[in-house]
Amino acid sequence: MSEDRPHKAHHTAQSGRKVDKKGKGKEKQTGFNEKAFAPKSGRRAERQGRRTAEKDQTRLHVPLVDRTPEEDPPPVVIAIVGPPGVGKTTLIKSLVRRYTKQTLNDIRGPVTVVSGKKRRLTFIECNNDLNSMLDLGKVADLVLLMIDGSFGFEMETFEFLNVLQSHGFPKVIGVLTHLDLIKKAATLRATKKALKKRFWTEIYQGAKLFYLSGVLNGRYPDTEILNLSRFISVMKFRPLVFRNQHPYLLADRFEDLTAREEIRLSKGKCDRTVTVYGYLRGTNLRMGMKVHIPGVGDVDMASVSALSDPCPLPNAESEKRRKLSEKKKLLIHAPMSDVGGVIYDKDAVWVNVPGSFTRGSTDVPQGEGEQMVMDLQDVDETLEDVVVRSQIRLLGSSSKSITVGPSSSGIDRQDSDQEDYDDSEDEGGEDEDDEMESGSELDDAEWMNADDDTELSNTGRSTHRVVQRSTAKLSGARAAGGGGVAFADSDSEMDEDHDNAAGRRVRFNDEDEDANISSDPDDEDGDVKWKANLAERAAEAFELSSKRTKRRDWTKLIYSSNTTPADIVRGSTTADDQPDEDDDLFTVKKATDDAEALDRTKDLVPVDELKQWEDEEVLDSIRHLFITGGDDVGDEAEYEDAEGGGEYEDLEASEGEDGENTPRAQDPKAALAAKKEALKRKFDEQYDDPESAKQDFYDEKKDEIARQQELNRAEFANVDAETRALVEGHRPGLYVRIELADVPCEMVEHFDPRRPLIVGGLLPAEERFGFVQVRIKRHRWYTRTLKTNDPLIFSLGWRRFQTVPIYSLDDHSIRMRMLKYTPEHMHCYATFYGPVALPNTGFCAFNSLGTETAAFRISATGVVLDIDRSAKIVKKLKLTGVPYKIFKNTAFIKDMFTSALEVAKFEGANIRTVSGIRGQVKKALPKPDGAFRATFEDKVLMSDLIFLRAWYSIQPRKFYNPVTSLLLSTNTDWSGMRLTGQVRREEGLSAPSNVNSTYKPVDRPGRRFNPLKVPRKLQASLPYASKPKLMKPQHRATYLQKRAVVLEPEEKKALAVMQQIRAIRKDQVVRRREKQQERKEVRKKKVEKDEERKSEKKREERKEHMRVAGIKSKREAEKEEGGSRKRRKT
Amino acid sequence: MTQANGLQFSGHQYLRHRLVLSILSGKALKIDKIRPDDKNPGLRDYEVSLLRLVEKVMNGTVIEISLTGTAILVKPGIIAGGPITHDCPLSRSIGYFLEPLIMLAPFSKKPFNLTLRGITTDDKDLSADLLRTVTLPHLEVFGISDGLELRIKKRGSPPLGGGEVQFLCPVVKQVKTLNFVEPGKIKRIRGIAHAVRVSPQFSNRMIEASRSVLNRYIPDIYLYSDVYKGEDSGKSPGYALTLLAESTTSAIHCSEVVSQPGVAPEDIAIQASRALLREIQRGGCVDERHQTLVLLMMVLGSEDVGRVRMAEPTERTIQFLRDVKIAFATSFKITPVDASSEGPAQLLYSCYGTGYVNTNRSLA
Repeated sequence: MSEDRPHKAHHTAQSGRKVDKKGKGKEKQTGFNEKAFAPKSGRRAERQGRRTAEKDQTRLHVPLVDRTPEEDPPPVVIAIVGPPGVGKTTLIKSLVRRYTKQTLNDIRGPVTVVSGKKRRLTFIECNNDLNSMLDLGKVADLVLLMIDGSFGFEMETFEFLNVLQSHGFPKVIGVLTHLDLIKKAATLRATKKALKKRFWTEIYQGAKLFYLSGVLNGRYPDTEILNLSRFISVMKFRPLVFRNQHPYLLADRFEDLTAREEIRLSKGKCDRTVTVYGYLRGTNLRMGMKVHIPGVGDVDMASVSALSDPCPLPNAESEKRRKLSEKKKLLIHAPMSDVGGVIYDKDAVWVNVPGSFTRGSTDVPQGEGEQMVMDLQDVDETLEDVVVRSQIRLLGSSSKSITVGPSSSGIDRQDSDQEDYDDSEDEGGEDEDDEMESGSELDDAEWMNADDDTELSNTGRSTHRVVQRSTAKLSGARAAGGGGVAFADSDSEMDEDHDNAAGRRVRFNDEDEDANISSDPDDEDGDVKWKANLAERAAEAFELSSKRTKRRDWTKLIYSSNTTPADIVRGSTTADDQPDEDDDLFTVKKATDDAEALDRTKDLVPVDELKQWEDEEVLDSIRHLFITGGDDVGDEAEYEDAEGGGEYEDLEASEGEDGENTPRAQDPKAALAAKKEALKRKFDEQYDDPESAKQDFYDEKKDEIARQQELNRAEFANVDAETRALVEGHRPGLYVRIELADVPCEMVEHFDPRRPLIVGGLLPAEERFGFVQVRIKRHRWYTRTLKTNDPLIFSLGWRRFQTVPIYSLDDHSIRMRMLKYTPEHMHCYATFYGPVALPNTGFCAFNSLGTETAAFRISATGVVLDIDRSAKIVKKLKLTGVPYKIFKNTAFIKDMFTSALEVAKFEGANIRTVSGIRGQVKKALPKPDGAFRATFEDKVLMSDLIFLRAWYSIQPRKFYNPVTSLLLSTNTDWSGMRLTGQVRREEGLSAPSNVNSTYKPVDRPGRRFNPLKVPRKLQASLPYASKPKLMKPQHRATYLQKRAVVLEPEEKKALAVMQQIRAIRKDQVVRRREKQQERKEVRKKKVEKDEERKSEKKREERKEHMRVAGIKSKREAEKEEGGSRKRRKT
Repeated sequence: MTQANGLQFSGHQYLRHRLVLSILSGKALKIDKIRPDDKNPGLRDYEVSLLRLVEKVMNGTVIEISLTGTAILVKPGIIAGGPITHDCPLSRSIGYFLEPLIMLAPFSKKPFNLTLRGITTDDKDLSADLLRTVTLPHLEVFGISDGLELRIKKRGSPPLGGGEVQFLCPVVKQVKTLNFVEPGKIKRIRGIAHAVRVSPQFSNRMIEASRSVLNRYIPDIYLYSDVYKGEDSGKSPGYALTLLAESTTSAIHCSEVVSQPGVAPEDIAIQASRALLREIQRGGCVDERHQTLVLLMMVLGSEDVGRVRMAEPTERTIQFLRDVKIAFATSFKITPVDASSEGPAQLLYSCYGTGYVNTNRSLA
């Protein structure tokens, strides 16, 4: 009945708690509730504040300058490292496919692709040998560390991580592959977890680890690769110190330029000239730098030239859209991977037919046709571009050209600085004649005016002002002689001008005199006039000199002419072509007055130059250089006048000039504005809290670095590439071609693109050799201790070399004491002879680089501390001698030295007996050679051994053996100096035994001590305390021994009871022990039984394991097709 | 002029800066044709003494002087520093020896503590006063400041000398990049007038005379009268006036005139003052005599652009720039400063530092 009747609904409550609650809920406002995140208590607030402050600190790193340019950075080097068969090539192929939509068949050497608008990537696969790992560890920006998930970590992985650690840890992303081989989900999860844990302990907690499942169509799944590529594209790189000090290049192309004939004649054994190509990284590469190629050695660069980028980043023209266009995506640069003669280009596939000419080999004579084709190939712009870029000048001197189209040539001209204007003036001068003859529309006068105007505006306004102020004649003279204004008069005069700058000055002075004379009659008092003119003249003289400088290109004068410094200073610049041109048989020997010239810092100040300072006006003329001198308002007024006075009409120049003139006209305005701005800033600073404007140290440093980098960019922004290369070298990011001369022929013969070829620039200090002191610690995973004077292979800086270190420890800060072996779990010092590396450079060391051992190969790591030309290591040397005559505290010692001279050397030295009596060497004795007198603090015995503790200084052996792995056919072939023991073992020799070193039973004669006999008379006179108290043994039994003991009855009884109790106790103990023995027997049997069962089970397990391992190894072998090195599981 | 790895020059001129460049760049230096046609060919005593001093300061340096003395070969080692004492010959003043060592001192292994004995002031090289008041501040802009000191313990005038100075210099890892383009305005003038073994009135007279010229410009002028008595005053009489003008941006210009026989101290002072005015007029941020020092430190700076505004280069500077190019493969960009100011032309020297790091400095 109750089923079909619906339940009556509850009444909604009209009052009570629920209603209160709901009402509140309705009132609740949406949005941010500040109460929710406010701290409940003051303490919590404080704690929260502290935590945010701490978190803030974690983002701070030591501010380091990044030398990589922001625009056009070199491609990021991504090294793919891992054991064979782990899927490195597959990964590169997948990534390249992801970026370029192309499938590479055979990958050799670096592959460069464009990955984004601001980033390019260079992928390089790392072989499994230590040499390749060392080299790549030094240049890789990002390492994709591949781990076989089904197998686990291998020894090489750990070795590589340790190599990275000692050469400035680049970023590492772990990639786990072969996960599809683990079938069981639980096992998969456990494996992932275990591997991740291990990986994190090696890198850092939370290091990125990628999982790649299976292989599809010979590639990893696209989504997984996409994820990986996203990680790579946002990766930020922290500048590494070593790489920010050295230029380096990962070669992606290698050519041999040696003449074929030479190779033929020398049967291929001649030194080669090779070129390497690649993107420059690190710092600027200067010509004249020495470079080191790891695996080859130090090489001189014959030439460096920047090439056009083969894999350029998209720029504004090519890319108008936000995303990278599909066309750009196709760009790939991997010159060494063109196996099968196929090179992919932007929009074509090149088939390389061997036997035809190639562009690289420039030494091979080329026919006209080939040359033409190559020239055509050189053209990297279309005809339209060329037309757009070309410019036509209406008149030779016009500074602004007529431009076609929207090209930026006009902007270029404005950017160009004073030098360019100078150049254009010169050109103008040459062009002038032609223009005149051809008869332009302008009449000559106007033409001159136009010229004047351009000239004046080009060279600064000081000239302008003077012209306005002086008489017409003077101005004419100035125009003729004033260097900068070379247009007004005839050519001949101008030539003179060029030829003899010194003469120019003289002539100018003459004309100046003329001007004076002409002005003389105007004035009544010539003398006064002369004085009045003085300041003006001085000013003019200065202007002249300043003008002269402006016209002179100091950089050119100093660096690319062979004028003597004196001539440059004097101003004659004509000497450049004089000395070389006259080929006369006899040359008149020039009077060299500089033979007596002293190398002096203080030059004599010419007295006549000081004379001018007698004049008041001259003195006043420098008043503005003092803080009391005020601003140069007067000058500005004059400027204004000068501007107003010029009513020139220039037609075609006006357009260009406008840009030039307006800022000048606005100059006072701008200056005023700037001043106002400065005042305002000052006021703000004073008015506002002065503390608030202050930055903390970190921001200050970062700002400083940013400012300097801005300056670096700005300083050479509009300098042409050639000058720029001269002044600052080749910038990182450029694609350069380096020609290397005199390279061993083996490098070419055994060149293998799969081995990384690195060109590392050396600092001047690093070219030299010396004793390098390092702090070293034996690696805790290396199983043997290291011994002094055993050869060790260092990977330090760019180099890999074998040398012989001596280990030492600081002995109380007094001496460096040699150690025979490296200490356990402790740093020590090592000193070796080798190429210098900057202090603070990390290194790792190896005993062998080969594959013969399955154990961990890095034997030590450390850091460079000190560079010197001598080493101060000592080892202890003990000289022993014996006394042959003893006086009270004096003894004669022999057998310590062999001659009196040696003794003389050690006079005053501290000596000691074994028993600890200290003494001093006094003087040599004449009789037995090398004997000497010594004094001690107590009487020594004839049986005492006397020794002298001395320190013998030792120098490390000057042995340096570079690891020339690139000169061998495989990296693992190289073997350095072997240990004596190794040589003996290989030769089958036994160690020679020294007869004196063999062990013989030591028979020491027993020492007999004579009894002390004190004469009876003496005994009698001695006091009791000093009397000998030794007595003879008793012959007869004493009374105590002789007497019989009879017990009382009570005593007897007590004794009997005691005996019985002891007997009972003894019996009890015996029985208890027997019982225990029995129990033990039983337990032993049980344990034995258990053991047997367990071992049985274990055997079963082992059998199963071996079976699985066998299957796996079989699979491996099939996959690798007999891979060279057997795996080493950790 | 470079060999495979070395510098080769000829002539006796510019020996000092060539030595410095060779030592800093680590390249072997070979100089031939040292006064070959002279009546007294070969190196002079002071040049030999300089080489000896360099050998003392360094470790592992090989200096070979040919039989005739007309050629030398220097294979530089490392700059060791530490306490060194050297007696300078009387043919040149201490400045001759100290100038190159000041360039080397910041890059040594141990801080320099160099004691030099000889002539402290003469008319050929920077005097001890100039070195102390002008040269050392020039080093300070490169971050070499803590413990940089030159103590004039005794003064010695030519011809007999008898002076002694102690030069202390700290060790730096790398010099700072210079960016000094604002010459500023002269805010103060300082001077040192010293007179040894003559009437102490001489220095006062010099000060008076100098003030007569300089007082017109600026009130902040202090000219000190530096008195050394007895043993400390050396063996010969002499006096000199050293002036320096400092600008608001701490650019320093200096001048110095040394006593000459038959010239009144007033004339010496006026000469010095005028020379100072001339120097001020030439302008720039760096004194004419310190151009090479500043340019060298710029070359050795970190791999950034350093800029300095200076007057036109002197002969020494020009040769120095050429030698720098050979030794460090670095050249300067020299552009005229936009001539908004009148007066002699000033040039902007900018260069990209070589990133020279003091490898001698030890971490142990």
